[in-house]
Amino acid sequence: MTTTLPTELPADAPIVAPDVTLASLSDEVSERILTNRTPRWWWVGFGLSFTLFMVLPIAMAWLFINGIGVWGVNIPVAWGLALAEYVWWIALASGGTIVSALFFLTGSPWRSATNRIAESMLLSAIPCAGLMPIMHLGRPGLFYWLFPYSSVMGVWPQVRSPLWWDFICIICYMLMSMMYYYAGLIPDLATVRDAAKSRIKKIFYGILALGWRGSVREWQNQRTVYAIMSAIMAPMVISVHSVVGLDFAGGLTPGWHDTQFPPYFFFGAVISGTALIIMLTILVRWGYSLQNVLTEYHLNAMAKVMLVGSLMLAYAYVWEAFGPIYGSDVADKTEFMHRVFGFTSPAFWSEKTLTVLVPQLLWIPFVRRNQALLLAISTGVIVGMWQERFVFTTSATEHNYIPSYWGVYFPTVWDWATLAGTIGLFLTLFFLFLRFIPIVSIAEVREIVHKENGK
Amino acid sequence: MSAPGRTYWQTLEEIADSPEFAAAVAREAPRFKDVMHGFDRRRFLQLMAASIALGGLSGCGPESNPRQLLPYVREPENVVPGHDRFFATAVTQSGYGTGELVTHQMARPIKVEGNPEHPASLGAASAIMQASILQLYDPRRAQLVVGNGQIATWETFVPVLYNRRGTLLDRKGDGLRILTGAVTSPFLTSQIAALKQQFPQMQWHQWEPLHRDAEMAADTKMFGQPVDKLYDLGKAERILGIGSDLISAAPGWLAYARHFAAARRPTETHGKMSRVYAIESTPTLLGAKADHRLPLRPDEIDRALRYLAGQVGAGPQDWAKQTNLPTQWLKALADDLQQNKGKVLVHAGREQPAEIHLLANAINNSLGAFGQTVNFISPVEQANGSKQQSLAELTHNMDAGKVDTLLILGANPIYDAPADLHFATALKRVPFSVSLALYDDETALASTWRIPATHEYEAWSDTRAFDGTVTIQQPQTRPLYGGRSAHALLAILLGQPEQDDYALVHAFWQKQAQQQNRGDFKQFWYDSVRSGVVAGTAAKPLSVQPSSDVLSHLPQPDAAKSNTLEALFRPDEGLWDGRYADNPWLLEMSRPFTRLTWDNAALIAPATAKRLKLATHDVVEIAVGATKVKAPVFVLPGQAGDCITLPLGWGRSAGGLGVGAGFSAYPLRGSEHPWRVPIAGLSKTGETYRLASVQGQDRVLGRDLIREGTLQQFNDNPDSLKKKSKDESLYPPYDYPDRAWAMAIDLNSCIGCQACTIACQAENNVPIVGKDQVLDQRIMHWLRIDRYYSGPADTPDVAFEPMPCMHCEDAPCEVVCPVHATVHDHEGLNLMVYNRCVGTRFCSNNCPYKVRRFNFFAYASRNDRPDASWNPEVTVRERGVMEKCTYCIQRIRTTQIAANRDNRPIKDGEIVTACQQSCPTQAIIFGDKNDRESAVVKRKDTPLDYVLLDELNTKPRTSYSALIHNRNPAIKNEQA
Amino acid sequence: MAIFGPRANLFMNTALLALGSALVFMLLAVWVVPVMGYNTQDRYAPNQPVPFSHRHHVSGLGLDCRYCHTAVEKSANAGMPSTAICMTCHSQIWTNAKMLAPDRQSLAKNIPIRWTRVYTLPDYVFFDHSIHIAKGVGCTECHGPIGDMALTWKANTLYMSWCLSCHRDPAPHLRPKDQVFNPHWQRTRSTPSGKALMAAFHIHTKALSDCGVCHR
Repeated sequence: MTTTLPTELPADAPIVAPDVTLASLSDEVSERILTNRTPRWWWVGFGLSFTLFMVLPIAMAWLFINGIGVWGVNIPVAWGLALAEYVWWIALASGGTIVSALFFLTGSPWRSATNRIAESMLLSAIPCAGLMPIMHLGRPGLFYWLFPYSSVMGVWPQVRSPLWWDFICIICYMLMSMMYYYAGLIPDLATVRDAAKSRIKKIFYGILALGWRGSVREWQNQRTVYAIMSAIMAPMVISVHSVVGLDFAGGLTPGWHDTQFPPYFFFGAVISGTALIIMLTILVRWGYSLQNVLTEYHLNAMAKVMLVGSLMLAYAYVWEAFGPIYGSDVADKTEFMHRVFGFTSPAFWSEKTLTVLVPQLLWIPFVRRNQALLLAISTGVIVGMWQERFVFTTSATEHNYIPSYWGVYFPTVWDWATLAGTIGLFLTLFFLFLRFIPIVSIAEVREIVHKENGK
Repeated sequence: MSAPGRTYWQTLEEIADSPEFAAAVAREAPRFKDVMHGFDRRRFLQLMAASIALGGLSGCGPESNPRQLLPYVREPENVVPGHDRFFATAVTQSGYGTGELVTHQMARPIKVEGNPEHPASLGAASAIMQASILQLYDPRRAQLVVGNGQIATWETFVPVLYNRRGTLLDRKGDGLRILTGAVTSPFLTSQIAALKQQFPQMQWHQWEPLHRDAEMAADTKMFGQPVDKLYDLGKAERILGIGSDLISAAPGWLAYARHFAAARRPTETHGKMSRVYAIESTPTLLGAKADHRLPLRPDEIDRALRYLAGQVGAGPQDWAKQTNLPTQWLKALADDLQQNKGKVLVHAGREQPAEIHLLANAINNSLGAFGQTVNFISPVEQANGSKQQSLAELTHNMDAGKVDTLLILGANPIYDAPADLHFATALKRVPFSVSLALYDDETALASTWRIPATHEYEAWSDTRAFDGTVTIQQPQTRPLYGGRSAHALLAILLGQPEQDDYALVHAFWQKQAQQQNRGDFKQFWYDSVRSGVVAGTAAKPLSVQPSSDVLSHLPQPDAAKSNTLEALFRPDEGLWDGRYADNPWLLEMSRPFTRLTWDNAALIAPATAKRLKLATHDVVEIAVGATKVKAPVFVLPGQAGDCITLPLGWGRSAGGLGVGAGFSAYPLRGSEHPWRVPIAGLSKTGETYRLASVQGQDRVLGRDLIREGTLQQFNDNPDSLKKKSKDESLYPPYDYPDRAWAMAIDLNSCIGCQACTIACQAENNVPIVGKDQVLDQRIMHWLRIDRYYSGPADTPDVAFEPMPCMHCEDAPCEVVCPVHATVHDHEGLNLMVYNRCVGTRFCSNNCPYKVRRFNFFAYASRNDRPDASWNPEVTVRERGVMEKCTYCIQRIRTTQIAANRDNRPIKDGEIVTACQQSCPTQAIIFGDKNDRESAVVKRKDTPLDYVLLDELNTKPRTSYSALIHNRNPAIKNEQA
Repeated sequence: MAIFGPRANLFMNTALLALGSALVFMLLAVWVVPVMGYNTQDRYAPNQPVPFSHRHHVSGLGLDCRYCHTAVEKSANAGMPSTAICMTCHSQIWTNAKMLAPDRQSLAKNIPIRWTRVYTLPDYVFFDHSIHIAKGVGCTECHGPIGDMALTWKANTLYMSWCLSCHRDPAPHLRPKDQVFNPHWQRTRSTPSGKALMAAFHIHTKALSDCGVCHR
């Protein structure tokens, strides 16, 4: 593929530092995971993540022993934190796909160095998302009834239900993502295999590399397959997240019953996904001191994507308000008023600020290149998105059509424990990727290096 | 699903005769040993209940294996396994009996329904009546005979009492006292009369905390003799309720409510409708239905009535000029009453003082109500003196040490006697006191002997209804917990200890039948017991001479004292005087106005609350004299200013589940002021207390949930309330060729009495969840009664709206279930298939009416009630599944199967849902929408019919009839 | 030094193949296991306190089903015969047969006989014998060749799909009213067609597979 250098690229920001050579690149990256001297920060990070992760099994055990009642959900608010987190995690995961697949198709050069981070993030986020809908079932053991197989009951799932679409989408998305990830990984595994000294590592990476030799034919096939998969993944991620949106838009509930939510949710995915990648990129950069490979250029580019995301989201927010205010449905109005001025309003306003107002700073080039600020902003975005999902999920059912059955929702300690646990799970997985998989796509960056530094 | 009784009875029989069980029983409950020899169906029931009571018994031995079938040894006649059987009997409340039919499944009583042949029921059953079935099975009931602190047995008690009889006989019964509640039972009366002959010195006292002394006294004064009044609401076109319990608690209220509602359906009465006024201090159901309601303080009520009396010429003319009262309102009322002479009914509640009752009588008299809307019979109660005096005398005698033998039959004075009598201390002076009680309550624990009493479903007895009709109560099962009846106890004193209550009651009625020469006794007995009504026992009308000058020497009204707080005592809608405080269904039943569960509260008017800076959930300390009581505040719109209503019956300290729920107002209640007492001090403690109310918002907030109009409007243009958006759909309409089940609910008739809620709970195995879960908004009631206010906060209009499942034809819940757990059937029922549900709860989110309930925990198995008490025809739901109103599908199916079996069509009214059956006002009608002749279609065809949230186009099968107010044009609404 | 010799590919491929087939096998299991006799307890014939033989009483002596299962036409439960019913005959014949000892004991001690269930339905399924009888569904349709069973055995899976197979298409399972209790009934040329019987019994299949028919 050709890299046409976009014009808006700042003069002082090359895609890769001039001193990077093909050889040095491979060594640097593979050395990071082949070394026996695991950096201390990794142990610390992994240790903390794993401890946090251990909260999850406890929370799950308690949940499954006592039943869904241990959470704060009730009637009218039958969906609580679990569903909000589900949407949140899916959005983060989708962000990964957007960066790696969508921008692969657009042929953006900056994507080559960050796509591995993006995909590792995606793979770490998906299990967190996938757990949620199952945990939130009243009878989790029977989730497989959603799967269309000929049971002895002689009944089938209900294909009109958005939940069923969702179930299918998530499964496909999960499988596709893994294959996509692996397809892109093979050449790098081979590189690592060759660089490996110890026999065990040779065998380990050797098996994973599936005997990759780097022959032209292999390269050809790999590139073709990868391109095709990207072409599939890009629209898929959009559909997946739209379907998640339909879980709500398909419902006859004031505040949810609105056609705009599929795109609304997708916009959320764009911004929150990019934000998380920026965070991780900065951390990886620092941790693995890969500044010369993951340059300001990348951050700059992703910052712009995040900015676009926030603008799209702003657009969605306008319509979120327009619907109820312009519309004639009393219930819709009251529900929206509750969202804006009710007791969830703090979350509502902070969410709007963090996801739309603050990111506007990114218009300023300085901010785009200042890592500290970027880190802060993207963290803000992620928190803001969480609040948005939370307010969206709970406030709608709190103020429903029947005033006599209005209610409130308070998450219990077990709700929070589940959140903490999933965050732990995400980080644990990501740290493992960091340690055992080349975190920068050597093969693809090589192309860049070849073109840039022409050696 | 956890095992319902349907298959469970088999394994239970198995418990009963497994050797392990025999051993366990011998070990843990020696008194059941005798039952073990000779197995018999009814007896195994008591074991079964006992086994649960004894805890964990049912969990041991081989009975855990469900794969066993135990047939009869000898098949009883005309018992078809799996068929319902109905037995007529009656339950009493404060003495007055109401007839009912008890449904039996495999010889197990499982459901209570009204007896259509009984004048006090007419087929309806109150919430309290229905909940009695749960009380029967309640494992917390008293189970042990205890004498002087030692666990004893009935067998040891009998000689003790019998010997005492000897000594008493020598003293001609001096020192012997019997304390009962209000008694209407002819047999019990005759027993006591017989005792009186044997023991001339003995005395019989009665105590009812919710007595009607004031009314009785007033009537005696008015007519020169005690009378009971019967009201003809068919004739009454103008009704004035003064704190009236006419359709909520008065004896025979079920029947009154039926006639009351019948006269207020303009679509059925050709645009005619009674007009109801209410003057009251705290909201009553009659007040909620009133077309004009005026909240007044008790002293204001007194003056208002004098004004009225003056106006209608019942009292001195100078009364007719009144200040600082909404005179125009009262004037309009007076005129309206006068224009309808002979068609007027004024009714004052039992809580009103004697003066008010006198005034009411006088007004009735001068407006020609007597003989028209008010008729008289001689009192149904056998001893109709003042209950308060009666108890006072007893207590004084006890203090004076004149009482050495006291039998307390079913009364609980230590809990509910006037505080200033100090009954507890008096009881300590009685060397030998026996308390026969259903629970180990406050009084039982303080007596020297306590005997577990039989439930009314466990013993033979008889009782009389509000109109004198006698019912012979037959037991529905052998005593589950070894209780004994009052009859059996008195029989010992009478010197016939070996007699059981069947023999006694049977013998008594044999004599009666002879005296009334009723011919063949066998036939008489059979008919009476079967029908639940002893023919021709309704009391004969009494012609009385009302004295006209009762008002002349009426004491001057106490001068208007402004801003001095008063405490008012009222019965609780569920716990009554506290005797039902152990009943989970009644504890969790939401009260009509406050919608509170599991607690009572001090009810305060919004204005007063603002003045005192109080809000709901604040805890206040109410001081009356020296006694102080802490109570949470509930701000109640419609309450009169400056008076705080304290519902009685809560804060029990012993006996049953109710212990610790709510606060007891009895300590504040003295003999001086039984119903209202000036508050010495009211202080805010600063604490708050979480009250579990199930009402979210009080008003409809612009939604078209309650459609209302005036009679004027309706008569001018019946269609004026019609407002139907045409139902458009992208999909072709689904047609229901054979049957289409539907329900119609008349908001005009619904009086918010909660009977339907409890009926549904009993029929459909709806579990209770407990206060914490109610606070978490997880109450399970399938059918709730929403309460909405409109108008000013101090004098709002109240609307009750029963909310079952709407069974939408385009049901939003169905499309979103991923596993087909909730689907439509070909008769338009919105089915909920529990065993298919995985618990996504999307259906509940999607239900605009919020009528779906979810088992967040395993509520059913947490409810400690014997498995035998669940309805075997309905699945008991397990943890994690959704549930909701099914239109009582089990009843539909049973009838359908019977009809299909002999290829006949289902008649209209053949299928009756539990809520419909229990409803005293017939507000709920269920039937086939396709049958143009059916009652439900007739009601749906009226112009008042509308569906909720029409704009969502869900096409509900449940529709409502709009509220119609018969306003007096002379009264502007802002004057309330 | 090469870690992966020429054979590595072979190993790898076999490994992948094995993995794949394992997956397929597991999926198949999901379908197969539930319908295995072991799981359905097909032909499960438990021991009974009294080794009652339908073959002897029904086919041999020609007793009618309703003689013992008295409620089968009236009620949801078919009704298990009370000890008294057994003793109507066995007080006359085989009065002191050893195998009838439990009967005599039961009557003497007034303790029911404990039969072992052969058919157990879940508590959330509400089956009604009477309506099936009334609509011409023969006993043997569900209970198999009950008339020839020495010791009663379970003749069907009782799976929901099995119930539905008939509820969705009852015609082939119907027989004339007078043949319902005939244990050896065979469809002959003269028997009316399933369609005709459906019409005769007023059976409308449309609503027959509604969930609410069996689940309440």
